[in-house]
Amino acid sequence: MESSPAGMKGKRGIEESEARWVHPKLKELVVEASRSLARLDADRLEELALSCQALNRDLAPASTAQRAELARQAREAAGDIATFSRVLEVTRANLNVMKRLRDLRAGRLEYGQDRWSRTETEHGDN
Amino acid sequence: MGTINSAFSLISQGLDADQAALSVVANNVANASTPGYTEEIPDWQENQPININGVSYGDGVTETGSTSVRDNVLNERLDQQQQLASASSARLTALNTVQALFTPDSGSSSSKAGDIGSDLTNFFSSLSTLENESTNNADRQDVLSTASTLAGDISSAADSLNSQRSALDQEAAGVTSQVNSLTSAIAQLNQQIMSTSPDADAGTLEDQRQQDLSQLSQLIGINQVTTENNGLEITTTSGQLLVSNDASVQMTNGTVNGVTDFFFGGADITSQLASGGGSLGGYLTARDVDIPSVLNSLDQLAYGISTSVNAQNNAGTDLDGVSGTPTAPLNIFNQPTAVSGSAANMSVVMTDPNQIAAAGLGDGTGDNSNAIAMANLAKQSLFEASPTTVFSVTQNLNASTPLGGSTTGSMQLYDSLGNSHNAAITYTNEGANTWGYSISMPDSLTPDTSVAKQVSYSFGSGETVNPETNLTITGNTANGTATIAAPAVTAGEAVGSAGPPATGYVAALDAALTAKGITGVSVANTGGVLTIAGATATSGNVIADPAASANATGTLTFDANGKLVSPAANVSGITFAGLSDGAAALNLQWALYAPNGTASISQTAAGSSQSAQSQNGFASETNGPTPTDYYSNFVSTLGATVSGVQTENTAQTASVTQLQTQNDALSSVNLDDEASSLTTLERSYQAASQVFTTLNTIIASALNLGEETTVS
Repeated sequence: MESSPAGMKGKRGIEESEARWVHPKLKELVVEASRSLARLDADRLEELALSCQALNRDLAPASTAQRAELARQAREAAGDIATFSRVLEVTRANLNVMKRLRDLRAGRLEYGQDRWSRTETEHGDN
Repeated sequence: MGTINSAFSLISQGLDADQAALSVVANNVANASTPGYTEEIPDWQENQPININGVSYGDGVTETGSTSVRDNVLNERLDQQQQLASASSARLTALNTVQALFTPDSGSSSSKAGDIGSDLTNFFSSLSTLENESTNNADRQDVLSTASTLAGDISSAADSLNSQRSALDQEAAGVTSQVNSLTSAIAQLNQQIMSTSPDADAGTLEDQRQQDLSQLSQLIGINQVTTENNGLEITTTSGQLLVSNDASVQMTNGTVNGVTDFFFGGADITSQLASGGGSLGGYLTARDVDIPSVLNSLDQLAYGISTSVNAQNNAGTDLDGVSGTPTAPLNIFNQPTAVSGSAANMSVVMTDPNQIAAAGLGDGTGDNSNAIAMANLAKQSLFEASPTTVFSVTQNLNASTPLGGSTTGSMQLYDSLGNSHNAAITYTNEGANTWGYSISMPDSLTPDTSVAKQVSYSFGSGETVNPETNLTITGNTANGTATIAAPAVTAGEAVGSAGPPATGYVAALDAALTAKGITGVSVANTGGVLTIAGATATSGNVIADPAASANATGTLTFDANGKLVSPAANVSGITFAGLSDGAAALNLQWALYAPNGTASISQTAAGSSQSAQSQNGFASETNGPTPTDYYSNFVSTLGATVSGVQTENTAQTASVTQLQTQNDALSSVNLDDEASSLTTLERSYQAASQVFTTLNTIIASALNLGEETTVS
């Protein structure tokens, strides 16, 4: 049967269905992640992280056709993944800057010259 | 009374302070939509305590003004990211235009640059068709027609690129006035801030200054340093001073070699600005790097096709039984004289289709062997004939060198047989910013000792003896043996002859031998071969100087700023001919005005391109791409460049957006506090990292385990 035209059509139908299994498309997912990270949409990024984890779980029992489809999508999304990687990189740099700033400002508040330079009599509580 | 007044005063001051604070809040709200406005918070100062009946009471607070909530470090980071984003944005816009030029236009019947790939296929296909019926006039006409389309599209692409380069040049030139306007404004603001708020935040004045800095960052790459009294010093990223507190330095521009260069204090800093960032950096990178690179690729393609097709057509016989000659060539394309400009000048010069030399040399006009050879050019690399080596010849011409003093740079050249030669360029200070140069290439001669008791050195045609020659000869004397050292040689000294009268180096050797009492040793020059016979031993090296063209010496003139002003064009046609080993003449051209600002010397093809390809230092194209592969690679490379710049631009723009969000949370009028904003940044980064890590696992798994299957 499999060698008959009808059998071929049936097999093709099943494999095409499997090929459509990967949702959402990897490229769209990566582009969405880059955009969300650019505008610091933490909620959306957390949703995407969950989607990726679900996708990873689904991959374990995936068929060869599904894996091949995913491999094709990965190659198609290579440029967008590179972009996402760069956006992640600059975000880490920005986060480092902001953390250092926070530490600096916290230090100023605690040990700043304004506080330490004042004399006791200026406090008005004596 | 004093006590009551004091108490009232205390209450009243508290109320005034509240009112002042309300005013500050009102000011914030009113400016909520003002770009660059920084939130102000009221400054509260505790008053001196009041002493009532010996007891000290707190005296409340006074609102002493307001302080803007800003962070200069964050602003500076934002400015830096903005200048990177602006540079990549300007460069990306230019590259997208270039890429669009080479994108096939399937919807248009008119030919354009994007069709060059199919033009190449059509041209070589028409030659293949001619193979089948080499005398067919329609097929011959088709060859000229497809050649014309190909040439037209290539030259039109070159014209478009040159036009775009001019447009970018104008964009870049326009930045000058904007930069000067902003630096002047910042200097004025500095002056106001330093006089009114030397020790505190200057509120709106600092807002204005920050806005100007932000705009300046989008134009050029800058560094900023806070100085005393709230002043500010700004330099370009390469260190040129733009603003020093209340003074600004104006940038100027001028035309150098057809494009706009930029100056600070007379120094040309165009190349530094190109790598410095801001939109000017993007314009200059596109103008001086990206477009010249694309033009060069197009020139190589046009040069390769034109020279190869012409050469092949001249190697055959046309329909009238005529073959091309050097004086009456049968060229299909306009024959280029150099790679540079080949694309813009590419055209079809042949009008008579009968002149297509389909037949082989000496074959009848019905023969098709040369048509086959021309069609086969589609499968061969067309870029073998122009191996070129570029040498870096950076040399510091120190102005403190005394008049008449000299400095020498060196480079290694390879002749057509693959033998290396160390060439030297000697610069002599002739005063008034003028340096003479002289290029020499000593040719070390290999001694021939194949004949007993005889050593000979073959000089090439026109070669002279180099002063570094240190030949020694040992021979018999009446009392035993003696050795003579090489006689002094003056530059350009001829080998000479044994005479009579003896001349040149032969005469000098003969005289030295005689003076030392050495007998039985004869020195002769026969057809450029210096022969020393009868010596018991010889040592040292005989070095020759090849004959050189007049261009091997000349004068370089610089302006007061050290910029080369003369010669006005590149020096080409420097030739070292008559090498001792029989190698073909070495041809050099000196690119004094390279696009990247670095002068270089190029060694162009020696006489034998076949042997040249195997030489070290030559850009070998032995297995180079076919014309269609070359074009395809060129388009792919362009696409990869655009993609890379697009990635950088996306990342840098994202970074600006993120920093702007943080800055807004910190300094603008909104309800989010700093901690919340930082938390969002951290959450976003962590979630994105999770996405990236999981994606990495998924993709690695898919690419390693996934197999491409075909549905049968």
